[in-house]
Amino acid sequence: MILALETSCDDTCAAVVTEDGRIESNVIASQGLLHARYGGVVPEIASRHHLELVDAVTADALERAGARLDDVDTVAVTRGPGLIGALLVGVSSAKAIAATRRLPLVPVDHLHGHVVASTLGDDPVEPPYLCLVASGGHTFLARVDNPSGYEVLGQTLDDAAGEAFDKGARLLGLGYPGGPAVDRLAREGDPEAFDFPRSAPGELDFSFSGLKTSLLYTIKDLGDGAGARAADLAASYQRAIVDALVSRTRAALERTGIERLAIGGGVAANSELREAVTGLGVPVWVPPVELCTDNAAMIAGAARFLERVEYPGYLSLDAAARL
Amino acid sequence: MTLLGIDTSTPAASAAVLRDDGEEFEALPAPERLQRPPAHAAELMPAVAGAMERAEVDWGDLDAIAVGIGPGTFTGLRIGIATARALATAAELPLRRVSSLAALAAGIDGLVRLPLIDARRGEVFAALYEGEREFWPPLVMRPDELIDQLGNAAVIPLSAGDGSLRFRGMLEAAGIPVEPDHSPAHLVSALQICRLGEGARDEPPEAVLPEYLREPDAKPQL
Ligand SMILES: [Zn+2]
Repeated sequence: MILALETSCDDTCAAVVTEDGRIESNVIASQGLLHARYGGVVPEIASRHHLELVDAVTADALERAGARLDDVDTVAVTRGPGLIGALLVGVSSAKAIAATRRLPLVPVDHLHGHVVASTLGDDPVEPPYLCLVASGGHTFLARVDNPSGYEVLGQTLDDAAGEAFDKGARLLGLGYPGGPAVDRLAREGDPEAFDFPRSAPGELDFSFSGLKTSLLYTIKDLGDGAGARAADLAASYQRAIVDALVSRTRAALERTGIERLAIGGGVAANSELREAVTGLGVPVWVPPVELCTDNAAMIAGAARFLERVEYPGYLSLDAAARL
Repeated sequence: MTLLGIDTSTPAASAAVLRDDGEEFEALPAPERLQRPPAHAAELMPAVAGAMERAEVDWGDLDAIAVGIGPGTFTGLRIGIATARALATAAELPLRRVSSLAALAAGIDGLVRLPLIDARRGEVFAALYEGEREFWPPLVMRPDELIDQLGNAAVIPLSAGDGSLRFRGMLEAAGIPVEPDHSPAHLVSALQICRLGEGARDEPPEAVLPEYLREPDAKPQL
């Protein structure tokens, strides 16, 4: 069995996954509310909480899997990218667990985890497939011919899609994290009430920074009337983000001729996006929400396809904010 | 008893084994290591494995793990403490906490000792010891405030640590001697962590957290 730790941002995560991709446990201790009053993740606060939680979350993951450390064959951990102080808590803990047992360790690229999340569980996606990953930190399209890696076909040139949701939510006076708040309010609004820009920087790239500026000016123009139009604004803003994601995904499917699509990342929890990708004419793997947002099961999932580093080769392993 | 000790409060990560026959095995970098950026993740576990190998002890031979809880660099302390906690949990060993300033003080050769760890932003983490007695608990302050406070104490302490190196000029001008630049007394020795850990209480691993002494910067990353 694989024990995986993931502490790249503000969720402290541990999971136990079998070699054939069965998820025995997937524990996520979210710090979301802690950071809500700052309107974003505060790195030092996130790092402090990871340290407070990491042992309990790891113990919980083992207990829920009905496993003990003796049952673990491999330890996997997110090496990056992410907040360096946060990553280092997971990396330090994972190295120490592995070292006391002389177990092999697998350092994992967090984004690789998102890309292969749909290979877990009862109905795994088979390569070749295309994967759209959209989260608060990343937005990209990748092709997967072999699950041990991925090739980025296009990516955001500025803000990530999740960031666009967060910034939009803030302009609309909604809470943090913004994605779920905008999603909820958008259900009561008209997505065609406002025409926000769908910028198309390159055929398969994304750009969301102009969108929030456009929302800002629209709210200013509406003045006192903006409050009454909040649901329409949220719905139209969300539609613009989803349109951008879906149109590039369609272009990538056409260009590559790949006939399977998976989505991942926190924005893949968005209800409109989940609905919209089903209209692309290919089978789509949409993981459950707990596999879309940051989690350790996907890190274990990626570790299955990667080379193990035997003891003591990983003792000097360091985390990396960028890979 | 046989202890593994670690400290990561300064850029110089250190690990040591104090064996029950009294033999000491320490992986302590040169004092110059204090002047370079920290690399605890890369350096700590190799130091641990090296000290254990030389001491010819395995996890089952240890009776406890002792860890320096700072104060010191936040990221460094988290690496040391996350490591120590996971080692203790996975090897089913008791964990003990030791003040990094107390360990630094224990290596200073004087009756009244002023261990100073660089706290960045023009401040130091400081404590004051006379013999075994802790005169001041760990504090964070500017060196000029420190000098003012010592003026009232009517004693002349000997100072060491990377904080004393950074502010050597100010300290010496105020009549406070600092250990020579290349003295190992500036390092927080994991062997001292072991020695102080011998007399410390067993703690549940999750209860062992850094002594930060400073609130986090609440600047969100967006
Ligand atoms: Zn992520």
